[in-house]
Amino acid sequence: MPIKVLAFAGSPRRHGNSETLLDWVLQSMAQEPDVIIEKVPLTEADINPCRGCNACEKLNRCVQRDGMDTYHDKIIDADCIVLSSPIFCMGLASQVKALVDRAQVFRSRKYVLKLPVVPLERKDKRLGVFVATAGQDWPHVFDAAVPSIKCFFHVIDIKDADIRYLMINGVDEKGAIEHHPTARFDAEKLGTAVISELRKRLKSESPA
Amino acid sequence: MTVTVIGISGSPRRHGNTETLLDSFLDGAKDAGASVEKVVLRDITYTACHGCNACHKTGDCVVKDDAPILYDRMMAADCVAVASPIYSMGITAQLKGFIDRAQYLWARKFILKTLNFSEDHIKRHKGVFISTAGQNLAHVFDSAFPAVTALFHGIGFDYSENIVANDMDTWKGIKNHPTALKEAYAKGQQLVKELETIKNT
Repeated sequence: MPIKVLAFAGSPRRHGNSETLLDWVLQSMAQEPDVIIEKVPLTEADINPCRGCNACEKLNRCVQRDGMDTYHDKIIDADCIVLSSPIFCMGLASQVKALVDRAQVFRSRKYVLKLPVVPLERKDKRLGVFVATAGQDWPHVFDAAVPSIKCFFHVIDIKDADIRYLMINGVDEKGAIEHHPTARFDAEKLGTAVISELRKRLKSESPA
Repeated sequence: MTVTVIGISGSPRRHGNTETLLDSFLDGAKDAGASVEKVVLRDITYTACHGCNACHKTGDCVVKDDAPILYDRMMAADCVAVASPIYSMGITAQLKGFIDRAQYLWARKFILKTLNFSEDHIKRHKGVFISTAGQNLAHVFDSAFPAVTALFHGIGFDYSENIVANDMDTWKGIKNHPTALKEAYAKGQQLVKELETIKNT
């Protein structure tokens, strides 16, 4: 079985710093055998914000019909979900926050309806990756984004220990990431390590 | 001079816990003599920031919608109360989308240097954050504060007050909370009185 990676490029700006960092991670993943990668720019994903209606607590699905109809299933199917975001105003870009908030349907399923999010045999096999860049060079610039990212991964049954982070601060202008001393190396190392970890986990599940 | 107060409701849901708490704050402000107005973000038209950075050169947003108009109105007020429920440990995507649109003000301040707020100006303009959360975690609001801080810095306001109530799931709604609505009302009155004193000196 191939390893399935679903990556959301969360910046409203195409091919900026956070997407470049994401691309480096995905390129190193793609060099491994038997990996299927789908990259989704949120600018093209048609994911509206949550309306807070709480209907999903009863219906087990969202009342909105938009891109999330497709990505809901893909999020369940993937072995690895990667999310990238630039930091805007000390937090996730609102486009990414909209995706995170729409994961409410998974929260309702897991905690209110007490139904499984992924089939039992795939639980604790999956990995989540958060890739972010920030213009400011403050060390705490990512602090407010991380709790929302954790919420997103928790409700899709990816626990804290299974989340990997690559967060690069001090990259402001377009292309600044190219000049960062370690970003590309760290991104490629992360991509390789994630695939290797997933391969180990998935091998133990099914005999070759 | 009448104190002017604008309340911004960032919830996608009308008349829920957060908007009710905001209403209580605005009632207190009104009863203290302020001129009060409420804007519900879901009723106005704005897009999220495109991240194009055009404002870094021009100081203006290329997107012509209700967001810059609302920023003008906020900056003309004496007090702005911005309200959002906590979704996934942060403010709603709707409020974050609106806050991100203030990038042109940041550009005016820090890149173009065409906008500057004096210490005295900031002291005369009060920002309040109002929020509720379902969970009972003490730190449930912590990740919301930095974005709100960015907002009030951007518009030259003194971020002076958080009016927050957690554990809504246990209380079964803000109306059953023993103190939150009364405190919000009292804060509304108190802030308007403070601003009146400042304006008359």
